[in-house]
Amino acid sequence: MSPLHITLALSSCVAAFASLGLAMDRHYEDSYGRGKEPAARTRQAFRLIGTAGLLLSLWACVAAVGASQGWVFWFGVMTVSALAVVLLLSYAPRRTMRVLQGGAALALASGAWAALAR
Amino acid sequence: MNLQATDSPHAAPRRRLVLSAAARYRWAVASRAVAAIGGGYGLSALCAATLSLFLPIERPEAVLTGTLAAFVVYPCAVMWVFAARTAWQAWLWLAVPCAVLGAALWLALRSGGAA
Amino acid sequence: MKEGFRQSMAWLHTWSGLLVGWILFLIFAAGTSAYFREEISLWMKPELHQAPQATSLSQAQAADVAQQFMQTHAQGSNRWTITLPGEREPVISAFWPVPQAQQATPAPAGERRRQRFENATIDPATGERIAAPRQTRGGDFFYRLHFDLHYMPALWARWIVGFCAMFMLVAIVSGIVTHKRIFKDFFTFRPKKGQRSWLDAHNATAVLALPYHLMITYTGLVTLMFMYMPWGPQLAYKGDQQAFFSEVFPNGSRASLKPSGTPAPLVPLSGLVKQASDAWDGQPVLRVTVSNPGDANATIAVSQDNTRGVSSKQASMLFNGTTGELLERRGEALAPAAETHGVLYGLHIGRFANPFVRWLFFLSGLAGTVMVATGLLLWAVKERQKFAKGGRIGFGLRLVDGLNVAAVAGLPLAMAVFFWANRLIPASTAERSPLEITCFFAAWGVAAVAGIAWPARRMWQIQLAIGGLLFALLPVLNPLTGGAGLWTTIPQARWAIAGFDLTVLLLGLALLACAWWIGKRKAARQPAARATAAAPSRSANASPPAATEPGLVTARNPLNPSGATP
Repeated sequence: MSPLHITLALSSCVAAFASLGLAMDRHYEDSYGRGKEPAARTRQAFRLIGTAGLLLSLWACVAAVGASQGWVFWFGVMTVSALAVVLLLSYAPRRTMRVLQGGAALALASGAWAALAR
Repeated sequence: MNLQATDSPHAAPRRRLVLSAAARYRWAVASRAVAAIGGGYGLSALCAATLSLFLPIERPEAVLTGTLAAFVVYPCAVMWVFAARTAWQAWLWLAVPCAVLGAALWLALRSGGAA
Repeated sequence: MKEGFRQSMAWLHTWSGLLVGWILFLIFAAGTSAYFREEISLWMKPELHQAPQATSLSQAQAADVAQQFMQTHAQGSNRWTITLPGEREPVISAFWPVPQAQQATPAPAGERRRQRFENATIDPATGERIAAPRQTRGGDFFYRLHFDLHYMPALWARWIVGFCAMFMLVAIVSGIVTHKRIFKDFFTFRPKKGQRSWLDAHNATAVLALPYHLMITYTGLVTLMFMYMPWGPQLAYKGDQQAFFSEVFPNGSRASLKPSGTPAPLVPLSGLVKQASDAWDGQPVLRVTVSNPGDANATIAVSQDNTRGVSSKQASMLFNGTTGELLERRGEALAPAAETHGVLYGLHIGRFANPFVRWLFFLSGLAGTVMVATGLLLWAVKERQKFAKGGRIGFGLRLVDGLNVAAVAGLPLAMAVFFWANRLIPASTAERSPLEITCFFAAWGVAAVAGIAWPARRMWQIQLAIGGLLFALLPVLNPLTGGAGLWTTIPQARWAIAGFDLTVLLLGLALLACAWWIGKRKAARQPAARATAAAPSRSANASPPAATEPGLVTARNPLNPSGATP
């Protein structure tokens, strides 16, 4: 159970949900202002990043606690991350992009470190 | 031939049980509830039993699979009952599969006993 | 269905949830606490707060220590059950039946004496019994409460709980079906919007932890499935449940041999423990059970602590007690349905050694508790709008209001009282364990009666505030009544005890925050012409609702929209 893996799991999951949230009109509006809509390409990019982030966090969970417990762990990580993003979008929607970028950066950093440390 | 009291146009109408809309609604809900809770259990029990007897795998495996499946069948049956158009239909949709499974079970037990 | 599938499912969701909601709240609250039942038990035994936290001994060494202890203290007993130290328990625990000859008073002639058991908690470092801590049910009380309830035979309780679990499963599935915009609304939470906020809170706690809720409800039924659905074994095994269990569950079905009467020394346990653990790829041993120790027919069963997997099934090995020869290996390669059953059971029990995973389960359970609470309160809020134009509220709403206070505010209060009782009742009191439980129910009873009698906002405020205060003060009460306080446990990294203190502190503060928020809402209430929103719950997501939105009232009942014959 490495703290690096857990950091990777959580940060990539939060970034992923932030990204998936921004792919939706309603939350994009909350974040960037009324009437704004993401361009089709941007929306696709958001969705892609979101999916990739979720898969990355699954990998991190399995790496952290093994195959069988890893799936269970992943669902738990998703619950917590989604909750965090719900609160973010409700109470501080304009910070969403920052959180996305921060989460992605943290994920890359911890992922790289974990890969190198092996 | 006797003149029935009802034959005369001035006679009081024969008493019929007339329910208000609200009472009819309550009866319908109660009927569905019984169908869902009782009938649903019956259907899932029959599923558990038939799967346990008929699945072409090891006996303990079949029993486990059948019993696990029963708890998936039960909520589906309940939802089915409440999604049916009328309460009568709800009962019908339960009764038919129960009858089929029940028949299969009865045949299996009879032949099993005779063998 | 005239009104459509979705609306009938909405009706079903509402009623299957509401009718059993209060019991479900209890089940969720008690069950969620049970994830940490060892830690709760430890906190409730302050005498053990200085006991060793982790043992430096290996399991094999601990097994030898246990063997020594048992040979001294359990002479003549025909069955030793020894649980070795593991990740969550740094001590050795053992229990054994007291041989008839050693019982204090001989049985009257001709009467069969009930078997008495003795148990001991042993410090692996010293090999000595740890001084018996105060008698308490500890966390096991909450564990049992969530399926055996209380004050009734276990069988009735399990049927009731199973019935409610089935209702819950229906509520979850119908809820999924009826939630039109489950993906679009995935991240939606709109605070300060009255009924909409309650709905959002209910949806958020339900959807975000949906895999957990589905899993825990279904697996809950699975844990008692042979009681609820015995028809498979009945018909396939012609009623012989024993035969069925021995075919499926490989542990413990081998009948113990009778003692031969010839004494023979027991082989050292340490070697067997090491052998088993090595054979299992390093997985630790959970339990060692010795049958007929000291006899020629002794056998030793070593069972595995499945820390890496999810399944609850424990592989085991059986050894000859005098020669150490391996007789049998069991439970390792299970057939698919048996393995599935083990996984489902294991998911419900949630005995993961990994604290992070266990915390996530705990948080999800908490989300479930909040989901049930917000659902109950949402119904009351919606129902209240029917009386927005004036008029006395109906009996149904009055009853729901009262029960909501009794459950959502009363239960936390009772749990806090339980912990206070644990510290205030002197350790040497006889029968103190049932007394603690009586305090729990007495407090709940008073809160419930008060809540049902007067389910006003003020009552919510009072009960939440009392509960919050009692919880928040527990970390203060702890060191004052013989326990190790936060300033000791944090530097010593005794996270089991510190974790309890911190968690109840947070819970207490959350409850106090809710109570305060109700007070704020009261002051900011709109003029009497508008309907008031119902009282809030402990939901962390909910915010002060400003006013109700009449447009959101569901006017029609999908099963009978116009009163026509269904």
